[in-house]
Amino acid sequence: MNSTQPTLQEKIARLRASFIAQLPKRLEEAQQQLSLLKADPCMNRVAAVELHRTFHSLKGTGYSFGFNELASIAGDAEDYTQQLLDLPDESTPPGWPDQMIGLLQELASQAQILVYTDLRNDHPLQTPFFEMNEGQLGEATKQSKQRLVYICDDELEQVTHLSYQLRCFGYQVEHFTETEAFDQAVVRKRPDAVIMDVRFPQGGTAGTDALAEIQKVTGQQLPAIVLSGRDDFEARLSAVRAGCQSYFTKPAKPLELAAALDEVMSDEPFEPYRILIVDDEPEVAQYHSLILEEAGMLVHQLSRPCNVLSTLQEFRPDLVLLDVYMPECTGLELSALIRQLPEYLSLPIVYLSSETDRQKQFSAMQVGVEGFITKPVIPEELVAAVALRAERMRSLRSLMVRDSLTGLYNHTTTTELIEAALSQAKRKQESLCMVMLDLDRFKVVNDTYGHVAGDQVLLALSRILRHRLRTNDIVGRYGGEEFGILLKDVTAEVAIQLIDQLREDFSRIRFSSADKEFNCTFSAGISSFPTYTRAEELRIAADKALYQAKDKGRNQIMLDDEL
Amino acid sequence: MQVLVVDDDPLAGEMIAAVVEEMGHQPLLAENAPEGMEKLNAHPEIGLIISDMNIPLVNGIEFFREIREQGNTLPFILLTGDDPEAARQQESGLSACIMKDFSLDESLPGIVRDVLDGQ
Repeated sequence: MNSTQPTLQEKIARLRASFIAQLPKRLEEAQQQLSLLKADPCMNRVAAVELHRTFHSLKGTGYSFGFNELASIAGDAEDYTQQLLDLPDESTPPGWPDQMIGLLQELASQAQILVYTDLRNDHPLQTPFFEMNEGQLGEATKQSKQRLVYICDDELEQVTHLSYQLRCFGYQVEHFTETEAFDQAVVRKRPDAVIMDVRFPQGGTAGTDALAEIQKVTGQQLPAIVLSGRDDFEARLSAVRAGCQSYFTKPAKPLELAAALDEVMSDEPFEPYRILIVDDEPEVAQYHSLILEEAGMLVHQLSRPCNVLSTLQEFRPDLVLLDVYMPECTGLELSALIRQLPEYLSLPIVYLSSETDRQKQFSAMQVGVEGFITKPVIPEELVAAVALRAERMRSLRSLMVRDSLTGLYNHTTTTELIEAALSQAKRKQESLCMVMLDLDRFKVVNDTYGHVAGDQVLLALSRILRHRLRTNDIVGRYGGEEFGILLKDVTAEVAIQLIDQLREDFSRIRFSSADKEFNCTFSAGISSFPTYTRAEELRIAADKALYQAKDKGRNQIMLDDEL
Repeated sequence: MQVLVVDDDPLAGEMIAAVVEEMGHQPLLAENAPEGMEKLNAHPEIGLIISDMNIPLVNGIEFFREIREQGNTLPFILLTGDDPEAARQQESGLSACIMKDFSLDESLPGIVRDVLDGQ
């Protein structure tokens, strides 16, 4: 059997999908036929014939594809239409027209459900991050935060599509069609953000009004975005008054909404400064450590300078606090040693010393030290000196370590981080997995739709990776369309499930450029520790597996074959 | 072997065609009886007809009678969304009458083989 030919099952699956896609249009046509009939059941009798055929067809094809619920309702509608046809032209059957209207509405809801649910297996489209065996991910699940978004909109169709796309990005989405249900839900469980429509059946600005009410009642600002068909001054003003940060008009692009949601939820929690204290006197080190921890910093103490390099690699401090006079080596010598390594050239080093001699202090500065603090320290001064320098280092570093487009770690940093993670894993005796991920046919995307569209794809992928993986995992951009991911404390089986789910969800995102829409996929290769114990080995093995995935047709994940 | 598939619902028609292809035959599609007739005249090698009951202009059974009247003796399988027994009773000359349901991709090949063997 030629493997490039779709199998019968695949063909049928595609036909099923087409059927569902065409449902809304067919039902709309049926709706029009019904309107004609309602207006004049006598003159427009032929509309009944059309309706009958439509229902009969929906029933038949519905059963063929296994949509029994839909087919059953269509069958009832067909019978009812038959009743109408059996009567003389001027007569209508009992229950006319409400029964027919009701049946069409039932068909419409059923169609929505089908559009909304998994087209392949009738599973709900919750894009799961943690649908895997709890036991395998265990600890990790507590680290990730699934952000909860409430969408309040009375229009079902567009919104179900939107919810699905947002779920692909890792948001948990709940949908409400009335403001009352929304109000109750907010009280029960507060979402991280809200997408609110403006107009509801009960009023032109009922949505934003409800939002304003909630802000008043709970007293807290609920991050909110408006998504509305209205684009007029009154609507926009009501949004401003309700405290909404952004205003989108329908139809909205899910990608833009996701970006706005990120901003509105002020994503990154502040990470405490990481300070390494090297001092041979433990009580002194402890004292300084306490002062800094009081100020919210993360401190690691080292009493033996000989371990400084491995500690630097694992702990990755923002700043090092060095005691100048130590038995093994002086602070000066130690900082010179640290500066031998290129990656630590700009690492802030601050001396702690009881040396009050300005001359000696000055020569210490020659080695490239950020500052000099005399013991005994004044706590506020210590904190200020450290914080200032650590912050400066962070902004500098962020320019140096992150890719400017996606905000992911750049190549060099990713490599460093992977080395660090590997030594940590060896020490803690945990497994980890390396994933090399590459967008499929990305050059074609750029050539066909332009680089702006290409950037959209890169951003979407980065977003998905950052949101769906844990904060602890390392996600980096290696090159144009190549990404390197390190998953900590997972087995290969778990990793492949995770990445495959991401692959699936990413493939369903609709990108748009001008008036064209397109999809994109990626391939990935996975290798793991302890099968490989060195970073280059891990990378090479993952790369090989990635190459295999591409070779086998792309849009798939391959595990390194040593496993 | 070439097989004529008549169904006005393009998706249903495609699905039956896919099943037919899987069996190793070549499907020819038509959306109604007149089109079906045209295909029959243009392709004398057609060895089997599979038709939906609910097609426009003339229904499946009328189509069947029409071609029998013209002297065509090809085996004819009728697909229906309703009770197949009722259709059988209406027209006993049909080679087979199947209900359209979810397992068509499993049930159809068997029936096609039976019908063709019985020839």
